[in-house]
Amino acid sequence: MAWTWFHRLASPPHVYRLAERLTPWFAWSSALLILAGLYGGLVLAPPDYQQGEGFRIIYVHAPSAWMSLMVYTVMAVAAAVGLIWRMKVAHAVAASCAPVGASFTLAALVTGSLWGRPMWGTYWEWDPRLTSELILLFLYLGYMGLRSATEDVQRADRASAVLAVVGVVNVPIIHYSVLWWNSLHQAPSVMKLDKPSMPLDMLVPLLLMLLGFTLYFVAILLMRLRGEVLSRERNASWVKEALSR
Amino acid sequence: MSTSTVMQPAASSTSALTAARLVLERDLRLAFRKREQLVQPLAFFAIVTTLFPLSITPELSRLREIAPGVLWVAALLSSLLALEFLFRDDAQDGTLEQYALSGQSLTWLLFAKTAAHWLLTGLPLSLAAPFAAGALGAPASAWTGIVASVVLGTLALSLLGAIGAGLTLGVKRGGVLLSLLVLPLAMPILIFGSQATELAMKGASIAAPMYLLAALTVLGVTLAPIAAAAAVRISLE
Amino acid sequence: MMEFLEMGGYARYVWPSYALTFAVVILNVVWARRALARSREQARRRLAMQEEPT
Repeated sequence: MAWTWFHRLASPPHVYRLAERLTPWFAWSSALLILAGLYGGLVLAPPDYQQGEGFRIIYVHAPSAWMSLMVYTVMAVAAAVGLIWRMKVAHAVAASCAPVGASFTLAALVTGSLWGRPMWGTYWEWDPRLTSELILLFLYLGYMGLRSATEDVQRADRASAVLAVVGVVNVPIIHYSVLWWNSLHQAPSVMKLDKPSMPLDMLVPLLLMLLGFTLYFVAILLMRLRGEVLSRERNASWVKEALSR
Repeated sequence: MSTSTVMQPAASSTSALTAARLVLERDLRLAFRKREQLVQPLAFFAIVTTLFPLSITPELSRLREIAPGVLWVAALLSSLLALEFLFRDDAQDGTLEQYALSGQSLTWLLFAKTAAHWLLTGLPLSLAAPFAAGALGAPASAWTGIVASVVLGTLALSLLGAIGAGLTLGVKRGGVLLSLLVLPLAMPILIFGSQATELAMKGASIAAPMYLLAALTVLGVTLAPIAAAAAVRISLE
Repeated sequence: MMEFLEMGGYARYVWPSYALTFAVVILNVVWARRALARSREQARRRLAMQEEPT
């Protein structure tokens, strides 16, 4: 009984309809949260005592960096589910994730380097977090490259799923090896960008932005998922009904 | 992954280990008949190493500083170059398909193939590495450390690369894609490997990076052949 | 208002960051919509082809 929801998630027509119904809810609530977070972050939050107004980049940099990691995790979990239970819908979720994750990884890199210019005095520093982020971008590019190089959708699904799972095992290893490498080669960064105790009027907008971006991701994912499910479906009966709307 | 247990007929007379040994012997014998596959990665390694003194400086004192990095980048690229041929010939003439249908564990057979591949490329590279390092100003006292670290590093790289080679089997001209898949995952090997080489050249203890490299290799030995078998099965479908 | 736009002298870094991030946000919406529209179009064509022979 408890597993019926899981089985229904494996059914493409059910997922298509569910995604269609849920998308506007996620889209509008994320828009509200992001607008509130922007107002709080740009207007209400006081300037930082060390970085002045420059710290406000955090309200776009942190959500982008969070997206890059969260999306990769979602992608890898969906890929593993798809491999283990041979679930088409799970593969469709994984396939929907990659372009979103890659674009936000790029955003996190660029905003990070724009933040680094006034704080470190240089656009690029081989800081462990920026370096890991760069490697994450390469992982996304490899995943997308493998998908587009494989013509058969089912084979692309399963091959890229193996890559995503191998990648997610490697992400922590890469992160810690980069940290270790960095601590051997240079003194810790000039400025610690995250302070353990952030005042509440700075923290609340950040949390709003993080939640808003997460809901935004769900909305985008649901929209892409519908397309991916349709393109994997050869059974006409429900597709016809779905297209009539 | 789950398929490897499903397809096995009950009565297969040879054990997995015997079959793996046979594959290893076969691959080694084939390679010694076609020597250029043995020589090319080594020649590539030597050429890449030569590029750096020519493009930066012939001064040994300055080369010594970058020697670990140069050595490891060259080793990484030459192993990658060889990886493309790991499964290719056997996939083209149908041998790989026979392996997959043989009822033997594909994981073990591919592990044997990867081991053969390392013996044919990784091991010669490890033996050539101290000479390249010496040419870049590494002291003779560092040689054992360099060989040991390159042995472990190329081993981990071959195992990791087997996954990438399996995934790109069905892709035409998959060489660039293979590098794009494997290189980001190989960063930890590069970091610890060049660290060990640097410490060895300074005469310091290389224990810490060597333990980490060994940990990566053990992880590779246990998990990579499983993933490689899954990848090859998908590509053969 | 001008003071707000100047961001305490950090305007050169703050506003491009916001612009880029929201460009990515909007582009992802556009891409997702386009991908969905393309899949629907392909499915429609596939349906039409299946129905023709009968």
